[in-house]
Amino acid sequence: MQHKKEFITAIKENEGIIFKVTSIYCANKEDQKDLYQEIVYQLWKSFPSFRNNSKISTWMYRIALNTSITHLKREKRNGIKLELDQIIEYKIDYKDTLIEDRIKLMYAHIKNLNTIEKGIILLFLEGKSHNEIANITGFSTTNIGTKISRIKEKLKSEIKK
Amino acid sequence: MKNTWGEMSTEIDKQKKLTDKLIMMMTKEKYNKTLRRISIPETIGTVICYITVLLILFNFEKLDTWYLQLSGLLSVAILIVLPILSLRSIKKMNTVNISKNNIKQTLIDFNKGKQQFKNVQKLGFYMSFIILIVSLPVAGKLMRNKDLFLEDTIWMWYIPFGVIGLFLFAKWVFKYYMSSTSEAENILKELDN
Repeated sequence: MQHKKEFITAIKENEGIIFKVTSIYCANKEDQKDLYQEIVYQLWKSFPSFRNNSKISTWMYRIALNTSITHLKREKRNGIKLELDQIIEYKIDYKDTLIEDRIKLMYAHIKNLNTIEKGIILLFLEGKSHNEIANITGFSTTNIGTKISRIKEKLKSEIKK
Repeated sequence: MKNTWGEMSTEIDKQKKLTDKLIMMMTKEKYNKTLRRISIPETIGTVICYITVLLILFNFEKLDTWYLQLSGLLSVAILIVLPILSLRSIKKMNTVNISKNNIKQTLIDFNKGKQQFKNVQKLGFYMSFIILIVSLPVAGKLMRNKDLFLEDTIWMWYIPFGVIGLFLFAKWVFKYYMSSTSEAENILKELDN
């Protein structure tokens, strides 16, 4: 019971992470709902082995990203899909539509990156240090630095086009 | 870009959408789904293969010549081994350690499993050529008590039609195989860069 409560609290506190990961790895809303469920399930399954050695958010990023890259899209799902509609529809109510356009553009460029680059840039934008990114991804810290510079260059040239 | 992302994150974090009930529903739904995950077509295929194996074994004495017995044994061997290999490779692909692995290791393990699965599919395809030849005389003997090896006419249409059918199927499988192999190769290249 305590375990269940802790899990629910952890998920609720970090629900934004799941949304952001699913939104960069999915091409459409249907896939996003599927992946969202899969991530929550994988987190639930792995929760007993979470030992507080790392931050809960680091653990969540690791599982969410691992789930996204191994997610098999062909599986059909049913059941709670409709209720999930409200979850993936975050209403970002900006007074300035320019920001909304910038977000859309940013997503469009991120989605053009490859599987690994998407994960790295997400962690970078989330403010994770090179060390933390290295820990989650398995690349060396120096390698992460190089990869981030390359991604930045790639994004810059994409934006200029 | 970092500013835009930050502004978006602040907005998202303000909105708490998940409820306790919804979180627990998701875990249950996925649990049921995982049980179904041992791919349904593969499971149905395995059941059909094993029923066929039992039918051949229970009626093996009806196969009264060495070539019919050889055909029967080849059919049984292929029908037993292929589903096991196929189910094993699916299981391997689905058991990547998501909670312990880092992204790099997950990608390596997942792609290894995927490659193995494709190799089994390829093997299965080659085996289907053998099954095409050996299953017909076995079926003819067991179902109609006829030695089809002694009948020329049936082979005259069965072999060309079978080969054409398998050729078309091969083209489709090969295309599918090549695209997923290159996809796996691309991911491995991403890791090296």
